[in-house]
Formats: sequence, C-alpha cells, structure tokens
Amino acid sequence: MNRKIRNMIASTLALALIGSLAFAQADLTEIQESGSIRIATANEIPYGWIDENGDARGIGPDVAEAVLANMGVTDIDWTVTEFGSLIPGLIADRFDMVAASQAVLPARCEQVDFSIINSSYGEGLLVEAGNPQDIHGYEDFVDNSNLTMGIVSGADQLDFAQAYGLRQNQIVSIPSNTDALSAVATGRVDAYAATGLTVGRLALNSEDVEAAEPFTDPVVDGEPVRSFGAFTLNADSDEFREAFNEELGAFQETQEYRDILLSHGLTEQDIDAALAVTTEELCSGEG
Amino acid sequence: MEQLLNLLPPLLEGTWVTIQLALASTVLGGILSFAAGIGKLSRNFFVRAISVAYIEIFRGTSLLVQMFWLFFALPLMGISLSPVLAGILALSLNIGAYGAEVVRGAINSVTQGQYEAAVALNFSKRYTLWHVILPQALVEMMPPFGNLVVQNLKDTALVSLITLADLTFRAQNLRNLTLDSVPIYSLTLVIYFVLALIFMSGMRWLERVIAFRVGVAQGRARA
Repeated sequence: MNRKIRNMIASTLALALIGSLAFAQADLTEIQESGSIRIATANEIPYGWIDENGDARGIGPDVAEAVLANMGVTDIDWTVTEFGSLIPGLIADRFDMVAASQAVLPARCEQVDFSIINSSYGEGLLVEAGNPQDIHGYEDFVDNSNLTMGIVSGADQLDFAQAYGLRQNQIVSIPSNTDALSAVATGRVDAYAATGLTVGRLALNSEDVEAAEPFTDPVVDGEPVRSFGAFTLNADSDEFREAFNEELGAFQETQEYRDILLSHGLTEQDIDAALAVTTEELCSGEG
Repeated sequence: MEQLLNLLPPLLEGTWVTIQLALASTVLGGILSFAAGIGKLSRNFFVRAISVAYIEIFRGTSLLVQMFWLFFALPLMGISLSPVLAGILALSLNIGAYGAEVVRGAINSVTQGQYEAAVALNFSKRYTLWHVILPQALVEMMPPFGNLVVQNLKDTALVSLITLADLTFRAQNLRNLTLDSVPIYSLTLVIYFVLALIFMSGMRWLERVIAFRVGVAQGRARA
C-alpha cells in the first residue's frame, strides 16, 4: 500500500519535473535562429508596463522592440513582475533580458551586466497635497528624523537615502509605485522617493498628493544624482549583449529613438545626458 | 457601474488561472496528504521518517518563501521549474503537509474495536486499511479537508509574486494602469468569495456522496 502510493507520487513528480526542465541561456545564435526572446519588465509607467491589451509599452519595451526587430527578433515573450524580482529572476534564468530602464549601479553590476545607457532621469519626492511637512529634498529628512520616506524595494533611491544617513526607521519599503499613492495620501509615509517621471505621473492621477516643489536634487559624493537606465542582461550572455549594444547604438542615432523617449516624458536634456555616459563609468562608480 | 464592467474581463481571465491552479494543487495536495498521513502511521522507520520530515518542514516554513525558493533559488542549482509548476508544487506541498495531519488524525479516530474485528476476521493489514479503516476515516476527514481546500484557494494569490497572471496579479496590473484601488480590490474580494462558495459547496457535495457510499448517516460516522 505504501509502496503503491510512493510509486505513484514519485512517477507523477518525475514526469512533472522532466516536462518542465529548461536549460535556456540568452544565447545569441539561439535567439536569432528562433527569432524569439524572453524579456521581463516591472509594472511601472512610463519605464515599462503591460497595457490593457496585454502589450508591453514604455521606455524599455518600446526601444527593445525596435532594436530587436532590427536584429530579426520579433517574437517577444513578456513577463511582468515586481521590481525587486527582476534581477533575481534574470539570475535564475527566468528571462533573457530585463527592459525596465533599471538604473546602472555598481552593486547591480556585480550581479548582472548592463547594455549601453538608454535613458536618464532626475529625482523627485511625492508628498501629501499642500506639502504639510514642507519637504523639498532629502536634506529635510536629515534635519527632522521623525519624517519617513517610502521607497520601492530594490530601487536605487535607497542608496541615496543611505548616503544621506537616513535612519533605518525613517525608510519604509513599498512593494510597487501604485502602493505609494495610498501610502502618501493616508500619511503612512511623509514622502515617496522616486524618479521625477514617476512622481509627476502619480501626482497627476490624484488630488490627494503632489510633487514636492521646489525640489532640491539629492547630492551624493559632491554631485547631484541622476539615474541612468539601461537594459539588464545575464552576466554569461556577452555575445548577445555585444550584438544588442551594436544595434541599440545605431538606433540611438535615429530620430525614432528620441521620439520614443520624448513621448514618455523625457526631455532632450535627459536624452543627451544619457548618451554622454558609459555603462563602464557607472559600474565603477565614476558616473 | 460601467467602470466595474470594464474591470471584469481582465479579472475574469485571471480568475480562470486561479481556478486551474487551485484545482491542480488541491488534487496533488490531496494525494500528498494521504501518502504522508498514512506514511506517518507506517511501521517502516524510513517511510515514517520521510513522512514526518516532509510534514514538519512544509508546515513549519513560510509558503511564500517556499515558493520563492522553488522559483528563484532552485534554478541556481540547475533545476528550473516553469512558473506554473513551481506555483502548483509549492501550494500542494504545503497544503499536503496540513492534509497529512488530517488524514492521520481521522485514521487514529477509528475505534480500536474495528482493528480487533478485522484481526478476528483474519483480514490482512492492507485489506483492513483499505476496506475497514479508510472508508470510516474518510467521512471524518471531509469537514477539515473542506477548510483546507478553501485555504488553498486563497493561498493561490501568492503566485502573483512569481510572474503568474492569476486573479491577484490582474488586479495589481489594473491598479497600476488606473491607480484606482477601491473598485479593483473590492471586485477581486467578491470574486474570491464566489469562488470559495463554489469550492465549499463542491466539498459538501463530496462529503455527502462519501457518507452515502460508506453507508453512514451524515455527521455521525459511528453510532
């Protein structure tokens, strides 16, 4: 009786395992031959999101689709996941690439590789309507240690906050941008730290919140911080990364590229700033 | 009202995924419940040890972390399960561990006299288990199993964190597009509630069928 059941379970599990074992890597020849690729994005407007028709849109996806089409890859298998799951998923080989305009940071460079820089953003803070705490920059959190700051888990604003020496109990981790709205509106956090683009979009959607104005850009190591976004790839897909970089570089010289970024709210200055730095500089912390 | 109607189609698409996951993990979890529950009562030391280890490990650790482990950690050891399989496996391993205790408890609740009678009739161990003990125990198991099935249905919401487009995932996605939490979460709760009602009535029906087949009046396994 025990043996019967054990055999049954063993064979069910074995079948299930064999059926789903996948040994995929972001292999250039494989991707080009099959014409298909697996790409993940976080659910964040305008960096990357899935619209109501199930199509991927945003700075990352729109540019990725154009560049990959030039490489002959048109079949994209999109996955949407939490921002904090993007790099772990990439490392676990759940996808070949991440198109979420993730900021290039030295700590991330140790885990994964980045394409050439594709976009850049300034910072912002979302506060309750009327800005009751009179918040205008990261410095205010140092002056008043009772203020709390919401940050999406895994986002680079955490690094800025830590560089400013914010206390652990001043930082509240938030699962996604959408949750920031209610967190700020209900006073669960005094401000939500994100890029200027994100803050602007959230502020447009609700009368309970607004972008902190005027806003002083956070300064880390003597320079105002700017986030530089790129495509994220697995560390062992060098061949694919180089081929992708080449096409991306060519695409970045076209007006079509600028139009995509402008349509998502970036300015010409943002684009020029992005094209002026290299991934290597940012990875070594010189950016 | 019109807004609610617009929200419904994507939510229902996710609902279908939720139903499939709940059904698959309930069936696999049921099999695991019986295997581990009976295994824990085995006289074979190894079978008993494996059953106890399985039950305690999966009852004693977080379902969400188990799921993350299967999804993010296992691939680093060379085994990459598809998101669907990782989700179903985590759910059923978890609910199976709880179910095993239900099975063991129900078998233990069958009175000693039944075993003695079986011995007196010279029934083999196996025959006794299948034809005397389990039918009576099955009736006892059904109400707690009903609880576990509904619990499992609600636990499926966690798969939204490993890239599966279930009901909760769709709700989150809609929130991201509309930034509107109240109608979306309310509707999602209503859908889960309706699903739970359907699953519960299914389990009650099964309970009645089993009681009838075993030949006991419902709610009274033994006189």
